[in-house]
Amino acid sequence: MATANKVADATTEEEDTRAGGEGNETVPVVLQGEEPGACRTSSMLVASDSFVDLELCVEEANGRGNVSDASSEAEVFRDRVPSGPIEEITRLDGLTVSNDVQPSTECSNGTTPSAEVTTEDSGSEQPVTEKVTLVRTPSLEEEEPDYTHSAEWRAHRKHVFILSSAGKPIYSRYGDEDRIVTMVGLMQALVSVIQSRQDSLRCIVVGQHKFVFLVREHLILVGVVSSHESCQQMLLQLNYVYSQLLSVLTYSQLVRIFKHRRNYDLRRMLTGAEKFFSNLLDLMDYDPSFLLGAVRCLPLDTAVRDVVAQSIAQHAKVKDLVFAILIAEGQLITLVRMKKYFLHPHDLHLIFNLVGASESFKSAESWTPICLPRFDSSGYLHAHISYLDEHCRTCLLLLSVDRDVFFTLSDCKHKIEQRLRKYNCLKAISKAIDTEMTYCVSDTDITELRHFLYKSKSTAQFTCPEYEAPYSGASERAHIFGLYQFMHQRLHSAARPLKILYYVGAKEALLGWTTSGFELYAVFGPLVTKNTAINSVNKLLKWIKKEEDRLFILNSPTF
Amino acid sequence: MSKKSDILLMNFFIFNSTYGPKEGEEEKKILYFYPPATDIDEKIKQIGHIDRVLFARTFSDQPCESVHNQKTRLLFYEAEPNFWFVMSVSIPYSQRVKDGQTFVEYHEEDIQDSLFRVVLQQAYSMFKLFNGTFHGLLERSGIDSLKHRFEQFYTKYLLTLNLKHSDILDIFDGIHFLPLDKNTYLRIQCFINQIEAAFPQIKYTAFLYNDQVVWSGLEQEDMRVIYRYLKTTLFPAYMEQEFQVQSSPAHSSALSSPASNPGHYGKFILGPPNVHDITCPGKTHRTYLNTHTETTEECHLVVYRALSATICLFVEGDFQLNFDFWRKLDSRLGPQLGQLASDIAEHYAKRTNTLVSEPMFKYVYFNHMNLATKTTLHVDSTKTSGASISPELLRIICDLNHDLSSIDSSDDGEIFVKSCGDSWVVGKKSDQREFYVVINQKNANLIEINGECFLL
Repeated sequence: MATANKVADATTEEEDTRAGGEGNETVPVVLQGEEPGACRTSSMLVASDSFVDLELCVEEANGRGNVSDASSEAEVFRDRVPSGPIEEITRLDGLTVSNDVQPSTECSNGTTPSAEVTTEDSGSEQPVTEKVTLVRTPSLEEEEPDYTHSAEWRAHRKHVFILSSAGKPIYSRYGDEDRIVTMVGLMQALVSVIQSRQDSLRCIVVGQHKFVFLVREHLILVGVVSSHESCQQMLLQLNYVYSQLLSVLTYSQLVRIFKHRRNYDLRRMLTGAEKFFSNLLDLMDYDPSFLLGAVRCLPLDTAVRDVVAQSIAQHAKVKDLVFAILIAEGQLITLVRMKKYFLHPHDLHLIFNLVGASESFKSAESWTPICLPRFDSSGYLHAHISYLDEHCRTCLLLLSVDRDVFFTLSDCKHKIEQRLRKYNCLKAISKAIDTEMTYCVSDTDITELRHFLYKSKSTAQFTCPEYEAPYSGASERAHIFGLYQFMHQRLHSAARPLKILYYVGAKEALLGWTTSGFELYAVFGPLVTKNTAINSVNKLLKWIKKEEDRLFILNSPTF
Repeated sequence: MSKKSDILLMNFFIFNSTYGPKEGEEEKKILYFYPPATDIDEKIKQIGHIDRVLFARTFSDQPCESVHNQKTRLLFYEAEPNFWFVMSVSIPYSQRVKDGQTFVEYHEEDIQDSLFRVVLQQAYSMFKLFNGTFHGLLERSGIDSLKHRFEQFYTKYLLTLNLKHSDILDIFDGIHFLPLDKNTYLRIQCFINQIEAAFPQIKYTAFLYNDQVVWSGLEQEDMRVIYRYLKTTLFPAYMEQEFQVQSSPAHSSALSSPASNPGHYGKFILGPPNVHDITCPGKTHRTYLNTHTETTEECHLVVYRALSATICLFVEGDFQLNFDFWRKLDSRLGPQLGQLASDIAEHYAKRTNTLVSEPMFKYVYFNHMNLATKTTLHVDSTKTSGASISPELLRIICDLNHDLSSIDSSDDGEIFVKSCGDSWVVGKKSDQREFYVVINQKNANLIEINGECFLL
């Protein structure tokens, strides 16, 4: 599902290169595929633009949503037979995986929640099922007043609510969802009134606040935001939250549940998953990877990375293993994949979220089902998750379509770990995490440049330095993130996309530049002249090109 | 890619949220509804829906501005406490064929909130000019009269709305001034003073040449609205009338009748067409000025024109306009105005000759302090013949305007933007003045030079 950027289609390559050209300046000629960070072989990630993706998602969803009742039976039936890549892989290898039986279906004992995690102590042979449940205090809450009267609650910058299309609250970012029942009912009424007119509600603007609505199969997601996000960007975030929900349940299951019982209380299936939503929303508040639709890589020497990739490729060559991913602190170290199958950055973000939000993986090897919505939204992949080092920073994920290969994968993990230790890779990775992971702008030796984001489009990867003065505090970081959001929105607006944006304000000067090969967002001090800015940017591009082996993953190893 | 559909006005209504609070009385809330043929249930449904939308106030104390649907956009404006203007506009769409299937794509970004809210604000201010504030009307004549007035006014006003051509100039809502040399200016001042002295019933005056303002004695807020009224309604109607009269075969005979114009070219646009003919008293409008202050003044608006110069007189509301008054006015105004008009014309001609040599950059300039607007983007200021740059660029300018006023909330800043079509658009804002330029070249250097040149 490699989507080409709309902007790229419209421009010729020459135009891009002279974009920032001053009269006497020479701009490096940057053709598509040759930008700093472009990959040499095919990319391992699906190159995407976050907004273009979102539109496709919306179109797809609308296409599904417009299916009339008569044919919806057929639609759902089709989903019962999983049709995505997982099915392909399993059929190919003669394995019969029944996607109907999940660890998370409504079991007869009625107490098994969906986020069930099977952990194994490294010593014993018996997998111990750890039920992660939330204890719900009995409903004294119904007597307490609605949150809408609490000024403190209202003052949060970004609320997110998930409700069923019947008006039942499912999730609220802040506070208990039982206490927002009236408001949720009102939201649902608004959506359905507009739907009855063959139209769909997108957003409501009230002064500084925006109420953004995303309607999906049987669910309504609402974001109430008073920060600098535009409607589009908020929709993007809501889409991520929806994907996270799918990642726990799968699309087929969601549809099936609501088909049987429209009033089903989805919270029962989501107990234990709230932390994933909260973590995701917190991440989206400051991590630019969601906005850019790209992934950040741990800066590592090519030699080390190659060894790591090889070790994994050799020892994890197991039947039905689709992806092997090594990550550290929210950055990618390497990704080895089955030929023909690509991972979408969207899915990778969800994986980062899964690992980042759970403490339980650190204690022992774990085996958990996970659905990757962009890869295949109808079924689960099964992930073996473990940490390779004592400090629990480097995490290895082995994703397979087969449910029963825990022990095989455990073996693989041990072999891989041995090999990495033998070649001192783990030490190198630790070192990278400690020192080089966050390089500073001063490393680039470009004065006047305060911070930047650089995304290489063909590899869907991006890089950015550490925040240093004057952006070291939380509110300044929120401020600069708001600026990036502004630039991104203007450059990617559907109707009027821009190629270059240069803004001079009281506190800083901003430069945003998109070409068919890369996107660059840079922040300078306010007194910088245009000449200096353009010069700095050229220098920056050269520096990134020089360091590209370290900053980006340029090869795409396969099994 | 097929043609885009137009932006259409779907609904326009005014309602008061505090009327008819009980069940079954919702109808009382509606004060005006367009299109008038909608049945009552539909109207009530819409109002109910709006009420619910207003719930969003739970999160913010600020007024609700708009609702974005996929196919329509709803815009709100609370003109006076509890009186809401609501407008719904259809979003232009185009059809795309992809993989054999036809997709309908909605261009929701073509409609910019800031722009269309201004349309609502203008609708309100225009009404206020000719009818006074809602509360004032309610006090004087009650709610039925208010509804009746709405009916009368908006049925005509909505026909003049040209949504397709709304752009940055509407946001500014400024005035084109005509710069004149000192002499002529002083003469005009003198003339106005004389008139005001001779006719003490005249409270305010404004002097225009073609459709540019030379001098105005009104408050800025009022002048804005009057100017817009003159430009969009009165002058075009008058020109059309003139044109028709000129092209009709009866014209030549009319010219020869000496009775109407004894030696000068002036006549009333708003006022009796022929001062000697008592049978047709002509039309004047009542206007309400200074409505934002404590002292609202009611005046008769009289407009008199000679050649290309126009003078607007605001006569005390209580004064009875009679033909004696008209005749005196005519005789005073006529000859002098005609003379002034031809003098200005001379100066104007000289001036445009010198200006031609300047490079013609496409720009828009606006000064918040005196509402002065200048533009070379539009071929003629009534915009009936469209702008000389693409609509996309116009919308970019609106975006820039929005950005400059919203980021950082500090007044000054500038934005340089390069669009997909390789045009540079520059917006500068400093010291209460805004300036936007469109340039079709690739060099960033050139822009800097331009910026220096044109900053006044």
